[in-house]
Amino acid sequence: MIKYILTALAIGVIAGYLNNNFGSLVANSWVSDYLFNASLILLLFVMGLVFGMDKEATSKMKRTGPKILVVPIAVALGSILGGLVGGLILRLDVFASMAASAGYGWYTLTGPLMGQIFGAEWGALGFVLNFLRELLTIVTVSLMVKIDKYAPIASGGATTMDTTLPILVRYCGSDVLIVAFSSGFILTVIAPFTIIAIASLAQLSSPLFL
Amino acid sequence: MLNLSALTLIIPLITGILLGYFLREKRRVSLDKVSLIAIVVLIFSLGFSIGSNSELLNSMPRIGLTALVMSVLAIIFSVFFVKLARRRVRME
Repeated sequence: MIKYILTALAIGVIAGYLNNNFGSLVANSWVSDYLFNASLILLLFVMGLVFGMDKEATSKMKRTGPKILVVPIAVALGSILGGLVGGLILRLDVFASMAASAGYGWYTLTGPLMGQIFGAEWGALGFVLNFLRELLTIVTVSLMVKIDKYAPIASGGATTMDTTLPILVRYCGSDVLIVAFSSGFILTVIAPFTIIAIASLAQLSSPLFL
Repeated sequence: MLNLSALTLIIPLITGILLGYFLREKRRVSLDKVSLIAIVVLIFSLGFSIGSNSELLNSMPRIGLTALVMSVLAIIFSVFFVKLARRRVRME
């Protein structure tokens, strides 16, 4: 399974690179928007179908109930703490690094937003950092699932409501579908708020550091 | 991430769940092959959007390592917190 994923990823990168640099066979957006969205919508439907048919998965979900909210909260706190530690180790602006990590993998939001608040350099870093989070989640899923059943969900952050969801379900089982989707959804919703909140905290505390 | 709104993701998911729920007693169909093919297509197009994004590729040598360290840290702490929280609330 993972070798199919990694092969598809590698071929995709090469095809995209060749298509972009050596004459476009197809429009870039056709693949990265149309094909991407079509396969994603099909997958969400199929995953829902499998989940709905699975008696065990649905009854387990009912037992878990509101506890599932614990997952996105833990991911948000973990990501921000990771940003703080990273900022301290790499001697970066700790508020900016916390804010960049609070994108939870949503790079198309974090890049532009960080760029607006902290400048172009942080915009690029916010983009690449969150993009790598998504990529690492896909690449390491088979290892992560050995650490903890929910570790791939934690790793995926906001991406577990779309890109990484099908892979997580394949590896962790159909019963994680709702936990993963809702965690990704909640993190997607709170990402812009936490980034802006950390940014305003930075402004408030800047006299202390100057 | 993508240009879809959350609603366009929720609708196919809910439709699938409801349909699956009502089809429960009917004969089982294996959707493994369908989903594997769709995953391969999805990951291919993700790769494609990376490969065709020259801005992203150009910024990699400059900020790649910093971004890698920070993303690994964000992942490690997230996994650790989720593991801890799960044990706390006794989530299966």
